[in-house]
Amino acid sequence: MSTPLVKLEKVSTGYDSKAVLRDVSLEIHPDDFIGVIGPNGGGKTTLVKVILGILPPFKGKVRFPSGKPKTGYLPQASQIDRTFPINVKELVSSGLKAPKGWFPHLSRKQRQKVNRMLEEAGLENLASKPIGDLSGGQLQKAFLCRALINQPQLLILDEPNTYVDKNFEQELYAWLKKLSPDKAIMLISHDIGTITPMVKSIACVNGGLHYHPSNQLTEEVMKVYNCPVDVIAHGPIPHRVLKTHDS
Amino acid sequence: MTDLISIFEYQFFRHAMAAAVLTSILAAMIGTYIVSRKIVFISGGITHASFGGIGMAFYMGLNPFFGAAVFAVLTALGIEWISFKGKVREDSAIAILWSLGMAMGIIFVFLTPGYTPDLMSFLFGSILSVGITELQLLLLFCVFMALFYMIFYRPLVYSAFDPEFSKVMGIPVAFYRYLMAVFIALAIVISIRTVGIILVLSLFTIPQITAMLFTRSFARIIPLAALWGITGSVAGLFAAYFFDIPTGASMIFLLTLQFLIIRGVFLIRSLLIRRVS
Repeated sequence: MSTPLVKLEKVSTGYDSKAVLRDVSLEIHPDDFIGVIGPNGGGKTTLVKVILGILPPFKGKVRFPSGKPKTGYLPQASQIDRTFPINVKELVSSGLKAPKGWFPHLSRKQRQKVNRMLEEAGLENLASKPIGDLSGGQLQKAFLCRALINQPQLLILDEPNTYVDKNFEQELYAWLKKLSPDKAIMLISHDIGTITPMVKSIACVNGGLHYHPSNQLTEEVMKVYNCPVDVIAHGPIPHRVLKTHDS
Repeated sequence: MTDLISIFEYQFFRHAMAAAVLTSILAAMIGTYIVSRKIVFISGGITHASFGGIGMAFYMGLNPFFGAAVFAVLTALGIEWISFKGKVREDSAIAILWSLGMAMGIIFVFLTPGYTPDLMSFLFGSILSVGITELQLLLLFCVFMALFYMIFYRPLVYSAFDPEFSKVMGIPVAFYRYLMAVFIALAIVISIRTVGIILVLSLFTIPQITAMLFTRSFARIIPLAALWGITGSVAGLFAAYFFDIPTGASMIFLLTLQFLIIRGVFLIRSLLIRRVS
């Protein structure tokens, strides 16, 4: 077993001393692809924030056994102010750290990297557009570029499929599939149907966290942990998500 | 025409022109941050709370600008702290500080023995009596802010746009927010001289809104806002002189008029384009 990138040990956290998550333990390994599901208000985003260090734990520990990993993060669309005067290129650039020094500007190499990333995503013609002018799909793509540009070891995506059309969703998942072998990915979604075929394991978050080390969910598990999720999958190829365990 | 040239013979008018230009540049830089972060109401709170400091300084026989600066900075830090903690309703807290500042100002001015001649100039501005020391101070602040923006553009804009992501990227978000709160407070206090407490906020918002008709990139809004700020306020200054009306009010009126005219031109243009296509 590899050393985990992140280790949550009995973490409780929340807002204003009101706990949203209680006694949550989780390990994220370098080759993991975890799908995080659960009802609204169950603590999915809270889990992300405690891993990212935005929210401190009330109790328990968040540990990084092999040092803090480089992390890419795509926030929930509703957290973003789309009217803010920032363009696509600036947005993607914000995912890079400027070289240390008194003048925190990007190096020429880093600026080229931003251009390459925009080309790869097919956003080069939108580079100087303000983010408010983009469609939902284009905007999520730009945010994904920002999350990826620093070549993170851990990629956390908080509901990347909100406000986007089905075409983009397919493109996004193809992209994630391509990425999945060389980084740990944590994908939060309310639409379990589309994510289960890709992920390697599932974490069901509802106050607590139940880790399911495969991408097949049983009805019992969902009942016990009260994860009222969409069980019928709508992908390009129809597939069933529900299966009973062999053992 | 000779009238126009002759007024430049007055030193007070040359000073007023310089003050209008410098204040417009300062307000363009600070105001772009205010408008982008949607903290106009917070800035209103800071402005009005500073009146408490003015009143207190009057009462204690100190320099009223010093009093205003202390009150403004404390209010700005307080509001930023409240919004970080997120425990109190931010808008209510601002409203309380806003009116408390005004109330304290009125009480202290009332308690101050004798007549307080400068009071009206703080409420409505007194650009025609700006002295050389004040101009130097304005210039210094402008140069400092320009350098600060040029050097720290990235962390400044990113921590305003997406504080959580910036935190993940290792940017000291809280530091930048508190620092900007102090700069906003100082810029407002220094600009009170030009148009007064009641009108100062529009100097930090109308040119930005005008600039945003042309561009929606933070870095480009600043020079454009400076340009529209200068044209509007200088036009206001001339209007005040020729029509013999209060300068502060005239400047804000012309800034707004300028915005409406440009907005109108954009509207007509888009209607024409729609008709053709």
